[in-house]
Amino acid sequence: MIAGPRLFSILRQGTCLIASIHTALDDSQLVRFQHDLIATIGRDRARGVVIDVAALDVLDSFATCTLRDIGNMARLRGAATVIVGIQPEVAIAMVRLGLSTGVVETALDLEEGLALLDGRTAGSPDGRR
Amino acid sequence: MNTEDTEDTEDDEVGGAAPGGAPGDDDGLLPQLVAHLREHRNRLRQEWVGRIHSAHLLQAMTSQEMAAETTSVYDNYVEVLETGSVEALQHYARDLSERIIPRGVETQEVVGIVLLLRDVLARSLFEKYQRDLPLLNRVLDAYEPAANRIANTVAVSFVDERERVIRQQQDSIRELSTPVLRVRERLLILPIIGVLDRERARQLTEQLLTGIRAHRAKVVVIDITGVPDVDEAVANHLVQTVDASRLMGASVIITGLSPEIAQTLVTIGVDLSRLETIGDLQGGLEEAERLLGFIVTRDSEAAGP
Amino acid sequence: MPAPAPADSSPEPRGPLDVAALIPIVRRIVAARVPDRATADDLVQETLARVLAAVERIEPGMVEPYAIVTARNVVATMWRDQDRQRRHQHRVVDLRPPQLPDEDVLAQEDRAAMAEALTRLSERERSTLLAHEVSGQDTHSLAAELGSTAGAVAAQLNRTRARLRVEYLLAADRVEPSTPRCRPVLLALSSGDRRRQREVDAARHLLECELCARLSEPLMGRGRSRDDEVRVAVRADADVVAARQAARELAARLGFPPTDLTEIATAVSEVVRNIVRFADAGEVLVELLDSPRRGIRITARDSGPGIPDVQEALRDGYSTYRGLGLGLPGARRLMDEFAVASEPGRGTTVTMTKWREDR
Repeated sequence: MIAGPRLFSILRQGTCLIASIHTALDDSQLVRFQHDLIATIGRDRARGVVIDVAALDVLDSFATCTLRDIGNMARLRGAATVIVGIQPEVAIAMVRLGLSTGVVETALDLEEGLALLDGRTAGSPDGRR
Repeated sequence: MNTEDTEDTEDDEVGGAAPGGAPGDDDGLLPQLVAHLREHRNRLRQEWVGRIHSAHLLQAMTSQEMAAETTSVYDNYVEVLETGSVEALQHYARDLSERIIPRGVETQEVVGIVLLLRDVLARSLFEKYQRDLPLLNRVLDAYEPAANRIANTVAVSFVDERERVIRQQQDSIRELSTPVLRVRERLLILPIIGVLDRERARQLTEQLLTGIRAHRAKVVVIDITGVPDVDEAVANHLVQTVDASRLMGASVIITGLSPEIAQTLVTIGVDLSRLETIGDLQGGLEEAERLLGFIVTRDSEAAGP
Repeated sequence: MPAPAPADSSPEPRGPLDVAALIPIVRRIVAARVPDRATADDLVQETLARVLAAVERIEPGMVEPYAIVTARNVVATMWRDQDRQRRHQHRVVDLRPPQLPDEDVLAQEDRAAMAEALTRLSERERSTLLAHEVSGQDTHSLAAELGSTAGAVAAQLNRTRARLRVEYLLAADRVEPSTPRCRPVLLALSSGDRRRQREVDAARHLLECELCARLSEPLMGRGRSRDDEVRVAVRADADVVAARQAARELAARLGFPPTDLTEIATAVSEVVRNIVRFADAGEVLVELLDSPRRGIRITARDSGPGIPDVQEALRDGYSTYRGLGLGLPGARRLMDEFAVASEPGRGTTVTMTKWREDR
């Protein structure tokens, strides 16, 4: 990010990363987000990642696909991913379009997401369900 | 009766002039008529109000309201006769309807008062032109179509407005009929009663999802015992609702789906594996408690070490 | 500018009056006050011109002092004018010399183009238009003369003006349309008649015809209340976001509920992404509809390679780039109406509509 307001931020919290998207991202920005996040997961040896998408008013097929890819790559690096903050209208549009987050789990908000990761990283490896 | 007398003298003048004119003079009839109705506005309006009273119409109105509304209707009426444009009247009629519908005024009352006005005015035209039958005929020929058009406009405006109000009421009833209930912390119940079409399914999903966000729910029990016809479309709506709830981090349990219907759905190829179904609401709530308890225990365990 | 003219022609006959001898001193005075060489030269010329114009009224010995005072005055006047009103500087000295003749030429070309455009109208069109615009005759009396109604005359006048604009643009550019479709398209744009624009598929033509794309620029703003439509040119990733935000904003004005707004934005995102992925350039038109019901229509076009098999592309899972293959079929599920027209080699047009539910 050379100039302008930050599009996303990746913060460390214990063994987890909190990645927040601050504004609508276009496809190339999403790809950069993916690269930055995966690189940070590797560098920090994070055990869990919470991706906060509450600021997104649209999660289309590309964005959803990117989030799933992040989840899969993070898992290969030993980190569990939770997507939080999907808004009601966004959830409805995703479902009607035919999108899902696949094996990546979802939670209501940051607090829930961190709680889920806590249970996940501390408890049984396959968690609930 | 003094006024009547002076009117008669005027009538003679007018009546004496008109028959001599060419047939083309019919164009001048409506303006003449309008002038007459304007001139006797007060008397005719009062006569009309009297007729409304004796017909027991619009009894929901106070006499001041009656005076105000009848004056407006009268003026609008005459204006339509003058300009031939019903637009202003339409607006007024819709406006009036909006005001009186909540007070239980019925369609036949509104139509009734307009027809009464039509008759009061027609009668006054009779009186005015009774000495000259050919002229009277022509006056009525000009008056009647316009008067009928006015009656029609008012009636249609009223019915339109009534329908709109009814639709609005239906909508609010509909919203009331699908409440999202919070049973305990983090647990919601959504009992669906009635037909589940596409539009309703969407409304329900919206309500449920905003409910999930507002109450931070983790488990939702959707009870469909009250849905008369669970077919493929309804099942697909449910699947979508469940998926959307999951995206918001809530698990969904469906209750009230009878084994027979479940069998039918599986036969026609609906993928029920994506729905967690439990026979009755009681069982569903127990399962929900278990899920929540499980989550709570696990969380507290996690906090321990 | 009458003054400089004698300055050029006079020195020869009036040579004996020592004009040349005045130049150094005038130049010194002006140069001391005005650093810019070109401006200084102009002021010197101006001063000399004034001296020459007045030379007959000046006593022989007084020419030099007169020139000095004049030079100071000329400079002072320039400063005053500069301070007071920068854009009237040319009254003293024209600091932008080439502009005036240019403007003149342009104005001449303009008139020629307009005259040319007028000749291309039919006799009846021309005379009606001139009677109305130049002679100020109103539509009612024109209607009476033509045996028509005022409304019809007004409509006819509007059509004529639209034609005149098109013919003017063509004449000013000294071009003839390259295809038979150009004129109808330009005319539809000029009249702002959107139904007609759709009939002649104006937007597609503009993507294909460079000439019309250029000529139509001044015409694009035409038409009544364009605040109910938005165009977004699509070239890069960022345009996808811009297009879906534009669609959302417009739809919000029609009172669509939040869920619908998100569905519209998501569908736009999907179809516009295809333009960026598969075509170099395209355009998205978002318009609000009034009839048969209130709604929003999105038309996304590109001049890309086209989709070989549209049916196949509308099937779930069809994907030629990294994605879930849900783009087009997904967008279709989000909208009420959805149509894809594609011609290999020419491009693709996706038209989708969502109606406003009267809840």
